Amino acid sequence: MPVIEISGLTKDYGNHKGIFGLSFTVEEGEVFGYLGPNGAGKTTTIRHLMGFLNPDKGSARIFGMDCRTQRAEIMNHLGYLPGEIAFFDGMSGMEFLNFMARMRGLKDTSLSDRLIDMFELDAASRIRKMSKGMKQKLGIICAFMHDPRVLILDEPTSGLDPLMQKKFSELILEEKKRGKTILMSSHSFEEVERTCDRAGIIRQGELVAIENMRDLRQKRRKVFLLEFDSPASAASFAGSGGFNILEVNENIVKLSILGNASGLIKALEGYNVLDLNTETSSLEDIFMHYYGDNAKTMASV
Amino acid sequence: MISKPLFKTAIKQNFIVFLIIVAVLMVYLPIIITMYDPSTQESLNQILDVMPQALIAAMGFSEIGGSLIDFIASYFYGFLILLLPMIYVIIVCNRSIASLVDKGSMAYLLSTPNTRGRIVRTQALFVIISTTVMIALVAAAGLAISNTVFPGELDVKAFLLLNLGALLLYYAITGIGFLASCLFNDTKYSLMVGAGLPVAFLVIQMISDVGEETRFLKYFTMFTLFDPDKIITGEGFILQFAALVIIAAVLYVLGYNVFNKRDLPL
Repeated sequence: MPVIEISGLTKDYGNHKGIFGLSFTVEEGEVFGYLGPNGAGKTTTIRHLMGFLNPDKGSARIFGMDCRTQRAEIMNHLGYLPGEIAFFDGMSGMEFLNFMARMRGLKDTSLSDRLIDMFELDAASRIRKMSKGMKQKLGIICAFMHDPRVLILDEPTSGLDPLMQKKFSELILEEKKRGKTILMSSHSFEEVERTCDRAGIIRQGELVAIENMRDLRQKRRKVFLLEFDSPASAASFAGSGGFNILEVNENIVKLSILGNASGLIKALEGYNVLDLNTETSSLEDIFMHYYGDNAKTMASV
Repeated sequence: MISKPLFKTAIKQNFIVFLIIVAVLMVYLPIIITMYDPSTQESLNQILDVMPQALIAAMGFSEIGGSLIDFIASYFYGFLILLLPMIYVIIVCNRSIASLVDKGSMAYLLSTPNTRGRIVRTQALFVIISTTVMIALVAAAGLAISNTVFPGELDVKAFLLLNLGALLLYYAITGIGFLASCLFNDTKYSLMVGAGLPVAFLVIQMISDVGEETRFLKYFTMFTLFDPDKIITGEGFILQFAALVIIAAVLYVLGYNVFNKRDLPL
């Protein structure tokens, strides 16, 4: 039985805003990435899972219980990280964690102590004085501290520095090993790629694809930027054929490769390559790559 | 039925503003009571006669009888008791729900295994209990001061009824504030209704006291249901008290149901 089950979920805010007929499931022990640009409906979906909103149509269920009417019961086994962080005024980090523990009827603080160490959180300082990254860490600890079976994380790594993002990925993988079911939203493909088993892509309130991460990676095109010593050698390489050349600009060649890069390395033999970069592709680019013309027509809507 | 940790947090968060208002009340109350002097009542009334009648009336100071309870009812329960605790209940009602929803910290409360109902009940109970404690402190201080300065002069039964009336009025006022707090996502609107309505009632009440031409305005303010003069003379306040209780109950129940059912933008 799936742990998270969304079927026909619709919330229409007018002006094509909202979510429309969403259906997907997340199985026990699975890490599900929920991808989409800002305003696509990720947070609206999560608000339904948290029981904050009444659906117009359809339903959201966790452990088979209705998210709206049986929310309190579900929360016994659920950890939540909101997309927007807002804690209580005037509390210190530790006071907040203790308060949340009491609100959950949680006595054992060993896990939250361990997480405070792991994320190097200065829990004694006032929340009001904390930086955005600090607050994000506090939110993450708050979501994991009661060892919940399900985690719903809305853009969990926003505001974290790369080192902490890595630690966060480790935490997710560790929890996954322990059989936790995790749904995390993101607008960064890389973040989802590191941790997730499957990803759903939402666009303008509609689910356009659910893909296995392994399949996604195989389909993925990588864009390389090659800097040659002269425009002439750049032109000669671009003219040699065999690659999907996207652009030649003076001595820089931009090309895309599907899958294995060893062909490119062999072809570059004999050329003087000053620099080689991969282009970090935005979600939109990746989306185009995966779904080609279909995506383009959708983008023009 | 309620959440103890949340209740404790509410106490911590509102402690300071509670203390400030109580402190101000405790400054005014002894000053007013000790100002009472049966022998100077006459001259005081003469001074009041010289002042513009409309102004005196608007402050609720008109028609001062000779006894201590008349004096307190007029000077303290005519205006100050309507103004000072009102500042407290406006702040606390707004904080209880609307500000948590507006800021988004309600999302954390609702990520714990507590029903919406339990959270609203806890916050409502805090508003009710803290308001009750505030009026009770005023009543106790009033009794103590009167007994010290003028032993045996105070009509205790009338004084307690006066405080009961003020308390019931405050239950109804907090009912407005609490419903507004449950209803709106934005503290701006919660305050507009939760503070605006009681303040408007108070202003209308002041204007309606000014003279016969404006007397009809008393039908447009809830504060008419709390009439210190009628309470101490014992002429018909039972109906008014009952009306206040019913208004309060309806408003709180409405707030509870609205919050339980509505969409929360968290």
